[in-house]
Formats: sequence, C-alpha cells, structure tokens
Amino acid sequence: MKKRRVLAALLAAVMAFGVTACGSSSGKKSGSTKGSDTKDLSYANIELGKDYTDLKANITMFNHRTDMDSDDYGGKNWKQYLADFNKMYPNIKVDITTDTNYADDALTHLQSGDYETIMMIPAVDKADLSNYFISYGDIDTMQKEINYANTWMYDGEVYGVPSTATTQGIVYNKKVFEQAGIKEVPKTPEEFINALKAIKEKTKAIPLYTNYAAGWTMGAWDAYIGINATGSTKYMNQEFLHAKDPFKDYGDGTHPYSVYKILYDATAQKLIEDDYTTTDWEGSKTKLNNGEIGCMALGSWAYPQMEAAGKNSDDIGYMPFPITVDGKQYALCGADYSFGINVNASDDEKAAAMVFVKWMTEKSGFSYNEDGLPIDASTTDTKLDFSGVELLQDDPAVEGEEDLLNNLNSDSELNINAGGNDKIQAIIEHAANGDKSFDDIMKEWNEAWSSAQETEGVEVK
Amino acid sequence: MRQEKGMIAWAKSRKGQQFFTIVGFMIIPLALLLIFTYFPFAEMVKFSFYKMKYTTPVDRRVFVGWQNYLDVFRRKDCFGALKLSIYYMVGAILQLFLALYLATILSFKVKGGNLFKGLMFFPYLINGIAIGFIFKFFYTRGFVFDTVLTWCGFDPANLPYWLKDQAVNNWALVGTSVWRYLGQAMVLFVGAIMSVDAGMYEAAELDGANKFQIFRYIILPSIKTIVTLNVILSITGSLSAFEQPFVITSGANGTGTYFVIMNKIAHTSQKVGLASAMAVVLLLIIFACTILQKLFFKYIFRNADAEDESYAAKKQRKKQEKALVKAAKLEGKKV
Repeated sequence: MKKRRVLAALLAAVMAFGVTACGSSSGKKSGSTKGSDTKDLSYANIELGKDYTDLKANITMFNHRTDMDSDDYGGKNWKQYLADFNKMYPNIKVDITTDTNYADDALTHLQSGDYETIMMIPAVDKADLSNYFISYGDIDTMQKEINYANTWMYDGEVYGVPSTATTQGIVYNKKVFEQAGIKEVPKTPEEFINALKAIKEKTKAIPLYTNYAAGWTMGAWDAYIGINATGSTKYMNQEFLHAKDPFKDYGDGTHPYSVYKILYDATAQKLIEDDYTTTDWEGSKTKLNNGEIGCMALGSWAYPQMEAAGKNSDDIGYMPFPITVDGKQYALCGADYSFGINVNASDDEKAAAMVFVKWMTEKSGFSYNEDGLPIDASTTDTKLDFSGVELLQDDPAVEGEEDLLNNLNSDSELNINAGGNDKIQAIIEHAANGDKSFDDIMKEWNEAWSSAQETEGVEVK
Repeated sequence: MRQEKGMIAWAKSRKGQQFFTIVGFMIIPLALLLIFTYFPFAEMVKFSFYKMKYTTPVDRRVFVGWQNYLDVFRRKDCFGALKLSIYYMVGAILQLFLALYLATILSFKVKGGNLFKGLMFFPYLINGIAIGFIFKFFYTRGFVFDTVLTWCGFDPANLPYWLKDQAVNNWALVGTSVWRYLGQAMVLFVGAIMSVDAGMYEAAELDGANKFQIFRYIILPSIKTIVTLNVILSITGSLSAFEQPFVITSGANGTGTYFVIMNKIAHTSQKVGLASAMAVVLLLIIFACTILQKLFFKYIFRNADAEDESYAAKKQRKKQEKALVKAAKLEGKKV
C-alpha cells in the first residue's frame, strides 16, 4: 500500500508542476497589454513648472550610476538632483536604485515584468520597445526637443530620451602637457608621438597609460577608426564592410592604420607604462588626476570620473583624437543610456515620470555636469572644448546589411567595436617584444578581413 | 481482454509493484540526468558540425561537416594552447608531491598540526576571482613578491616582470594555481591517511621499519585510491586551467590556455561550432588521459591481496610460461 501512495504522490507532484507551469505563462500576458491609454501624454506638451504641479505620485528609477549614490561623489549626486527636482515638484517622490551590474540586471528586471517606473533602456530589440516603454512622441516632434532622438526610435515613435551624450577623444592632464612645453594640443599622429616624447623627457609622468590589463580599455581604440580617422559618417557601418584591405597604410595619417600605429609606436618607443600587464583601472584615474599620467585614450564618459578621482579636477582636459583629415578634425558622438518609462505604470506615474525625464534633460544640468554633450536641443552648453571639431554620428548600415558587421567580426575574429580586446593587446605585446612589425600585424588583419568578406560573399570595392 | 486482465494482475502482483516502484523512484533522477546533462551535451556535439552563432536561428545554421574539427587541429591558437597545459601539469605533479609530503607529516602528532592544516587549506576557501585580484597585485612590479625577494637579497633591478615577461608569466600563473589547490589535495590525503590502522605502524616499527619504509609499504598502498583520484583531478584540472589566466592576465601575452581561447572563440567571436568542436576534442583528450592513468596505476601499485598482478610479476609469469612452452616444444622435437 505504501508503495502505491508514493506513486500517487509522485503523480500528483508531476501534475502540480504542469499546472503551475501553465499558470505562470498565462499570468505574464495580462501584465503587458495595458499602456496605450495615455495618448494625450507627450514630452513636447509638458511645460515644466506649470503642468502637473499638483500631481502626487511615487515613482522609482533604476540606473547604472552607483557612484552618484554616494555622498563622496565628486560631482552632483542623485540626492542633490532629487532635492532640486522637489523644489519644483514637491509632490513627486522619486526613489532611485542603482546597480553595478546594470546592463544584465536591467534586462532581468524587464523580463520579470515588474520593473521600475523609469529605467535606463538596456540592450533590447527595437521592435520590442513598445512592450516595455511608452512613447514620448513621434520623431518629428521629438527632434525639435532633443538631440539624438533617433537613438531609441521604432516605427517613427521615440521611446528613449538620452541622459547625456559622449564623444571620442583623449583624456589628458593639462598640467603635465604644460610642463612638457606643449602649447597646442597635438592634431596629427606625429605631433602626438612628439608630445608623448616631450612628456617623457621633461616630466616624471607616464606619457600614455594604456590600461592594457583591463582589456576593454584596449577594445576602446576601435572607436576611433570610423569618424575620427576618416571624417566620413558612412565609413564605419558601410564603407568599412566593403573596403579592400581596410587596414592598409593610406599614407596620409588617416584611416584605421594610423589609429593603431599610434599605439604601436608609443609602445615601441617606451612611451607607455613600464609593466603594462599589471595595470589597475581604478588606480589609473587617481594617477591621471595627480599628474602621474599624461593621457589615456578613452571616451568622454571617462572625463568626469578622472576629474572626480582626486583634488586636481581643474587639471583634467579632453582633446580630440590626434588625426586630421584634410585639415579638419572630426569626432564621433553618440547618446549614452536613455531614460525609458514603464508601459505598465499607472497614468499618474507615467505623467510624473515624463515630468522628471524632461526636468532631467532641460533643468537639471545633468548632461553639462557630467561633461556630456547637450541633449536639450535648445542649448549648446558643454564643458568639452571641441571647437573647430566637427561632431558626427555614424550612419546606420544600409538595408539588408544590418548584421553584416557582426558576421564579418565573427568570421575574422577581429571583433571591431565588439570586445576584440585581445587583438589590440597583441599590438602592444608585439611592439614591446619587438617580434613583429606593425605592417605585418596589419597585413594579417587585412587577410582575416578579406577572408571573412569572401565567406560572407561581400562585394569588395 | 484476457491479456489486459493479465496485465492488471501483473501490475497488482509483487513483481509488478516492484517494477512500478523502481520506475517511480528512478524516473526523476534519470529525467534530470538526461535533460540537464546528456541532452545539452548531445546538442553541443551537434553544434560542433555547424557554422553558427548563438543567435543564429535554427534554419540558418550551416552544416560544415568536419571543418570545425580540422580547424581545431590546424589553427595555431587552438591546439597550440594545449602546450600551456604542460606548465600546469608540471605544477600539478609538484603540488601532489608537496601535498603528500605535508599530509604524511601532519597525520602524525605535530605541534599545531590543526593550525597548519587550517592555514594550508585556507586558500581553497577563497573565491577564485578574489585570488586572481590578489595575485595581480602580488606580481605587480615593486609590490609584494618583489619586496619579499628584495628582503632575501635579490637585486630588484634584476628581477623579471612576472606577468609581462613571456618566459616566466606562465610559471607565475601556475604558482597561483598550486597555492590555491595544494591545501585541498593535502586535506584529501590527510583524511585517507587517518583511516590507516594505527596497529600497522606499531607492527612495522617492531619489525624495524624506518619512517620512509612505513610510508612506502604501509601508507602509500593504503591510500592508492585517493592518490589516483588526486592525480586524475589535477591532470584534468591542468588541461582545463581557466580561472587564473582568465582573471589575472585575461589570457593575453601568451597565457591563453585552451579554455580561455575556447571562451574567446565562443563568446567574443561567436564561433559556437568551432568552440563546441574544441570542447569535444578536449573531452576526448581527457578520456584518453584518464584511461592511460588508470592503466599506469594498475601496474605501479603492488598490493599483497590485490587481484591484479603487478607489472613485474606478470612479466615473470609470462617468462616462465614461455619457457615451459619452449621446453615442451623441444621435448616434442626430441620425441
């Protein structure tokens, strides 16, 4: 008899499992069908300080800026922003949660169906945007309000307002450059290498700190090969894919060859840190701040972190990447994380969230304080001194070739702008050990790229 | 109808009940095993014959036959990475001898024995990622290791860059791995040695055996299972070394072991087929290594009451048999 009972219990358990499995999948659906009942709410129509001042709501926001949670943060922290916001909107309470592993955890939050009112939009497919977030308005209206409106656009609707925007250049210590007698920021690879040499001769600072060990800091060099090195908005996502031997020497100090050659030459001439294998990313910020490092090749997002890493925030500067195309410098710019508003929130919460996002964009000074490029279309305020540099965005891939760069990256294993850190680490290794010339490395890359183009059947121009 | 009745009768019988109980109990563990171990493994073997990324939909995966396997052997970075395992194997052997030595000492009455055991086991309890960070600083120019060596009289200017110099960086990583796993191997040995009957030592001492003889003829044969296990674990471990190179050097600068390269190919370059083929090849290599070790240990351990003979004994017996046969043949010729 006992055996039968066990069997029955087992069967019951299996059946119960089946039932719960069904239950959970049907429960999920009902959650995401709300949302489209707030059509009259639009970003453009909100007048800050006048509209919704009586609105009472508690909203939440999830984001990646853990450093801004701390009272020790060098710039303006979240608490101070919220205090300012509540001067204008005392009845809207915003509860901010931050996370160090944001990119992954944010996706988990979204998939659970129960997520914060405002999120920094993580890597979701554009087609799925409307399942998670509400639209701020159509693209034509939004383009008059904000820059980079097309960052999270789908079907003509805008689902994300960027928190700030960054560009690509070199973060440096002005004082070190001054001490080395460099009066003007270098604009070509030769000038840059000469500047590094001057730093080595005249100061104690490490001219160029590579942050080799961190890995991703190496992959960051890929970001310069498009607009910065060619001045063409079509290069990165279109021409590059079809180029014959894109890593060849063009002879005029432009194109990818010149970008990577700067790193090779600097290493070969011992203008980088002595022991590159044990570099420390957190420590490098303080060292740059103290003047122990001359410069580092990092996006402008790193600029505020360098300023906040010590007492000498005024010494830190940001310069364009030292490549000049036909007498003009260019820089790639693009939106950072964007605010998205939860589609499942109540109408009041949605309105409160949109008010907060608009306030963050127009009144908070967030983008300016964080050394970003302006988001609000009506202003040009920024701390980045890029006068004379043309800021451009990459054009998207042509239709039918959206996945081509990914496929070529995979086949060639170069992984341009996709985590291909090891290939750039190898440049430093070969330069330091002197066991392979730069032209040989570029030849290998060209071969890998050509064979990938062949595999994918790409027309080479 | 009749058959059905027969079935029901059988189901109600003692044998039938036994059958259902066994199936009832086994079905869950078997299902778990099949679904979560063998099914994914079979999928991986299938992947190894395709050119695909993780996100490639099923209908767009391209069947490439043995191409991925050929690539594993042809590419310098794939199969060549196994050479690095030799460093780790040398480290593993060193580690085993050291662990066995320490375990034997610590199994007898030693002052502060438990403290030593604790101290030596401690590294194993630390998270592997944390160890990576500790040793990155440990090996940094002018930091811990260099300072200690300077105390010992080394000239800091003559010391190599532990992680930058490709002649020493793999040894530095192996050192980290030995530091971490030594305690674990030692504790396994101590446990095994503890289970040896203490009366044997007394008897051996009465017969005039010295400490080495006691170790050689009593301890070692008694713990041979654990020795074999430890050897298999450490050889397998050195073939699949991953944590140290991944965290400390991220596999750069000539420290990319097979696993690190595999991870790079699978996740950065998204060549899932090639990475799967690498995994299958490694599995076969580990199989081969394990079988070879089993055979090796079968011959190396002589045990009085073991059923399998030692290599020397077998050779002797064969010789005798051969001699007998020869003799018989000769005899036959004479007749």
